[in-house]
Amino acid sequence: MPLCPICEIKYDDWVSVANHIHELAKKNESSHIMWLNRNLETRETSVRNLADKLETFFDLKGKGLANWIREKFIQKFYSDKPHPLILAMQKPNRAVLLGYVLEHQHFLRNWVRVLSLIIAKTDKDDVARYELENIAVEFLGWRDKPSHYELLIRMGESLGMKRDEIFSTKPLPSTLSAINTWKRIGETKTWVETMASMHSLELVADRSLRTYGAKMHYFNPSILESEEYPQAVKDFLREGYEADEYHAEEALELVEKYSEELNLVEQVQVTVIKSFDAFSKYLLARLERAILIDSSVAKFLGGVVNEYYS
Amino acid sequence: MNIIVNGRIAGSRDLGCALCGSTWGNYYEEIEGQKLFFCCDFCAKEFKNMINEAKKRKGLTTIDEIEIKGNFYTGRTLRVKSGDKVYTFYVRFNDEGEIEVFNEIYKSQ
Repeated sequence: MPLCPICEIKYDDWVSVANHIHELAKKNESSHIMWLNRNLETRETSVRNLADKLETFFDLKGKGLANWIREKFIQKFYSDKPHPLILAMQKPNRAVLLGYVLEHQHFLRNWVRVLSLIIAKTDKDDVARYELENIAVEFLGWRDKPSHYELLIRMGESLGMKRDEIFSTKPLPSTLSAINTWKRIGETKTWVETMASMHSLELVADRSLRTYGAKMHYFNPSILESEEYPQAVKDFLREGYEADEYHAEEALELVEKYSEELNLVEQVQVTVIKSFDAFSKYLLARLERAILIDSSVAKFLGGVVNEYYS
Repeated sequence: MNIIVNGRIAGSRDLGCALCGSTWGNYYEEIEGQKLFFCCDFCAKEFKNMINEAKKRKGLTTIDEIEIKGNFYTGRTLRVKSGDKVYTFYVRFNDEGEIEVFNEIYKSQ
């Protein structure tokens, strides 16, 4: 059943959804207008056209929910205008990598807490098992390997920052805002929506995205062999490079299966888009942290924006 | 004050919001002596904060032209022309529409 992607009121058809959004846009309601601007169309259009665009946007095209999520992720982060953080990661300097460490520690600490909400809410053992393993890999360590969290901190140390200094750095407001979005999703939404919102983000490092149309990989894989970067940087990046393809793929299969079974496909779609916006904000926060360490990163960002809109 | 958003002239109902270029909504505010169109009050707030910050940083009294590029996903560049001076900044806003990042990225020409 179609629903408003912003306030999530359900309607009988897309024309009714479009009519609702149109009415609110006329009243300058900012959250609905922002959603239109970010996802659909910045030029005002008729109710009929808007209904068609909404229907097309949410249409699974017979390819399933997992594929829809992957396509939307690529459009947002890996299209002709890749997210600036992805560009910065093609040849990251010390500031960009430290921005990663300082903000991502908060992302990961929140990550495992939100995954625990999925476990608390689900009655499916395959889901609980998947999440427990993910928590172990990310936070505890798995089969004699250090956790991603530990590898992240070691990356920070290899770049000259003390462990205590890393731990005592508070998240930037944008990181905190994004974290609160995911926390809210975990606390107020169904476990299927939460699972989709979190694990779809692991697509960012999924190597297979290139075969689905992504313009580049999360980072330039030649970094893994480069002498320019400390071993701890390569160890951290390699873990994500090798793990997230499996992580995202398996999770999205579970999301697709259970969202159909529990009749939650449309709910999952609108929540995933909200999660993507939080993720974009969070990725920019990492660059914002980098700017605080090295102001030349602002010039890089400005250069990217100017090139995209020239 | 001329306003260009992502390559298009903006600031009126037909041309688009003075901050983001959108033609949704119907919100007006008088800024720098000009009645400007915005898609919502949030964009208007961000626009005012951005202009005020540029004026404060550079001690400007008047602005002849601004050019904005970018969006929510990339952050924005702001090119401000005042007399024969030109300044360019990278700008990001927080959830309340306040300035979060405001870095000068090119020296005045």
